[in-house]
Amino acid sequence: MRKKIIFSLYKKEMLDILRDKKTILMMIVVPLILYPLIFAGSMFLASSMLTASTSKSYRIGFENFADEQTMIDAFDKYKDGHDYTFVYYRPGTDEDEEEKLRNGDIDAYLIESVSDNKPYYQIAYMASKTDSQTASGMIKDILQDIQNEKTDAALKAEGLDPDAVLKPISYTYLNLATDEENAGYLVGMVVPFLLITSILMGALYPAIDATAGEKERGTLETLLTLPVKNLELIVAKFFATSTVAVGAAFLNILSMSLMAGYMLVSAGSVDATADLELSSFIPAVIITFLCVLTFAMFASAVCLSACIFARSFKEAQNYTTPVMLVFMVCGMAGMIPQLTLNSVTALIPVVNISLLITEIFSFRFEISRIAMVLISNLAYTAVAVVIMGRLFSSESILFGDAAGSLRLLESRKHMKDKQIPGIGDVIMLFAMLLIVVLFGGGILVLKMGLWGLVAEQAMIFGLTVFYAWYIKADRTVVFHLHAPRVPAVIGGVLSWAGAYLLVQLLANLVTVLFPGLASNQNAQMLQELWTDAPKWLMILSSALMPAICEEWAFRGFMLGSFEFKFKPAVAIVLTGVFFALFHMSLLQLIIIAPLGILFSYIVWKERSIFITMILHFLNNLTSLILEEYQEELTEIFPFLAGELTAGGVVLLLVIGSVLLAAGLLIIHGKKKEVSAS
Amino acid sequence: MRIEARELCKSFTRLVNDKDKKSRKEEFFAVDHVDIDAHEGEILGVLGPNGAGKTTLLRMLGNLLEPGSGYVHIIDEQGERITDPIKIKSCIGYLSGNTRLYGRLSARELMHTIGEIYGMDDASREARIDQIVDVLKMQEFVDNRIERLSTGQTQRANIARCLVHSPGIYIFDEPTLGLDILSSEAIVEFMKSEKTKGRTVLYSTHYMEEAQYLCDRVIMMYKGRIIANDSPSGLMEMTGTDNLRDTFRAIINEGETEEKEDA
Repeated sequence: MRKKIIFSLYKKEMLDILRDKKTILMMIVVPLILYPLIFAGSMFLASSMLTASTSKSYRIGFENFADEQTMIDAFDKYKDGHDYTFVYYRPGTDEDEEEKLRNGDIDAYLIESVSDNKPYYQIAYMASKTDSQTASGMIKDILQDIQNEKTDAALKAEGLDPDAVLKPISYTYLNLATDEENAGYLVGMVVPFLLITSILMGALYPAIDATAGEKERGTLETLLTLPVKNLELIVAKFFATSTVAVGAAFLNILSMSLMAGYMLVSAGSVDATADLELSSFIPAVIITFLCVLTFAMFASAVCLSACIFARSFKEAQNYTTPVMLVFMVCGMAGMIPQLTLNSVTALIPVVNISLLITEIFSFRFEISRIAMVLISNLAYTAVAVVIMGRLFSSESILFGDAAGSLRLLESRKHMKDKQIPGIGDVIMLFAMLLIVVLFGGGILVLKMGLWGLVAEQAMIFGLTVFYAWYIKADRTVVFHLHAPRVPAVIGGVLSWAGAYLLVQLLANLVTVLFPGLASNQNAQMLQELWTDAPKWLMILSSALMPAICEEWAFRGFMLGSFEFKFKPAVAIVLTGVFFALFHMSLLQLIIIAPLGILFSYIVWKERSIFITMILHFLNNLTSLILEEYQEELTEIFPFLAGELTAGGVVLLLVIGSVLLAAGLLIIHGKKKEVSAS
Repeated sequence: MRIEARELCKSFTRLVNDKDKKSRKEEFFAVDHVDIDAHEGEILGVLGPNGAGKTTLLRMLGNLLEPGSGYVHIIDEQGERITDPIKIKSCIGYLSGNTRLYGRLSARELMHTIGEIYGMDDASREARIDQIVDVLKMQEFVDNRIERLSTGQTQRANIARCLVHSPGIYIFDEPTLGLDILSSEAIVEFMKSEKTKGRTVLYSTHYMEEAQYLCDRVIMMYKGRIIANDSPSGLMEMTGTDNLRDTFRAIINEGETEEKEDA
């Protein structure tokens, strides 16, 4: 892919989109005009309904009353202080109150009778009529007042204090939620849904325009005469669509918050806003921004993928309707109080964004969960982009030949032998790994403990082997299956030992600077699993299996593809960073990324994955021993227990650096025989 | 520059109804083992009835479609063989009834974008655009949105679009379809002048008079195959007719009878 060309195409797409009145309408006019209109309209409606209902007069009838005048007097007495008035209909002869109610001559009527020697009243009304409902409520309130008065009078006649008898205890609510929490809870219910819908709307129109619209107007063929790759085209379209989606989302948020602010001020609750500490919203806003960004990209890729099939605008709208429905239903997840962000919901697309925003606004967010949401969203986006790219390179879809068969995955028969996997393959495989391991692995570990860990690693290995087999990858090249040189192993061990020391220092530094990061659920879970487990199973599940399987997937498949597609330095760093991201924890990211980069470098240089399998094993084993035999070790080496002194830090720094340098020197000294490219 | 294609094939699947009214998918060749040689300074006409595979052939030559089998190469003035699809596209100006323009952009903006995509530097791109505007007399409307142009102006903008990168080869698929006499004359004269500059032109049309007037050589396609390949005068001589229209009819009839005999 050529950045310059993508940028030129992107500029063209943006110009084309922004000159389209319909897009402008969707993007700017709707949020900036419609929201205020909706808010103002609903306020006006609500207030006019309020005045209408209170200043109205209600018509009340009586049935079976011996003396309705007493009741009418009581009504007149208790309706004092209210806005409404009553018009009484005294029963005439042969008049049917029920018929009058049905005809709408009266709104409700009372029926008097006697039950258990007490007066018994029935309020007859029609639940199907608003006025009748309101009138019945008012009558009920007045009857309650009469009842209270009679009770009080009876108790007083007996010489009792009505308050003490009727209300032996009293209570009141004490709401401990801060104003921010109150506001956040309400906002968090609605905002995710509005946001998801507005992003989708923002993405939908340009997506249709850039795919089906181009086909319908016949400009796609013009575009295809240019010396651009299909992938470059779709990437430019993807970025343009995402830009509009994000733009629309921001205008929507802006408009909503301005409106909400205006309402708070005009409602006279300025005091409440003064209590709101805006600064506590800032991290939430930043995180929301990141989520919105990845989500907009995801939505754009999904919309584009759906629209590519369509040959016209109308057809595209048909295809995108189910997409919209699914997105909107998932977007409502935030409104379900029982649903919270956990390790399962964090992985469900759309739902996770909805829940995340809800949690951010109610100040319950946890950094590790947010990382999971972001990473899983990135993974879904990557998969959607790869699928979109595959669809867009299908001639039968581009030229609208509906009978042409669509193959998402090329069938194995047609693949060439000894392939090097492309970036798309890497993304597909790792998205699959992420999903399989997170869902499957999580359940396995819960059910089977350490054996679940073993199974999880076996799945990583098996899936990678299968994918490599399916695309007929050149195993020796991709997986770096060359025998290790003895000096390289020695150099590797030395450099790893040095790097391990340095990384531990780094981890200490980070936990001192950001104490929040230290709480690591994964590590706690592992420790729980380790208690009482046999030693050999601990070593198998936490050191041996990860060493083989993770190296196979990362330093094997991923590096094996990247080193042919990127410059060596980029390939090595990317592999290391992805390896760290796979561990789904921020603290781990800082510790693992440098080690991952070192391992990638060694494999790239030596073309032997066996070296880093040894190193990876040593690394995990060391951590295991340090964790498990902490007490015994501190007895032998007392300095392990105490806080690190400045001198100790410098000493470790020097030792680590020397080891790392020595190890790298041994490896670097090797003359390269097999070149990567 | 010349274009060389060997054993070009392209098959599509289509739904066919059987006698027992079951529909099934059938593979058919839109282009069936076709060889093409178009030389420098030559206008090569591609003629044939609807559905003969002209558009599919030209799309493959322009690298819009990937050949099912066979290859398309371009040999440049130095005799270098160009095989990379992206580089081949850079040598070709492609125009067809289906290559429409972005209505919301102006012709100048469109040429600007296209120049950027062809990797031209700013100065030479702007100079080239000014030159094209001058030659095609587009001064009046070059900055208007294309959706507001007349049919003839749009067609001129479309030609301008394929000139930006000064291609050595032109592929024109029915460029005069639906145009009035003046507009189509402009295109015909344009092709003629490009030919004299040593450019290669591949051109398909249904207008036989136009082909007779313009083409140095003509290939006739029928059901994905080339059934005749000669100069217009050679073909007329062969069939004993005095205009290309009758020649066309004669050759296609011959093709049909041959096919029936084969069956």
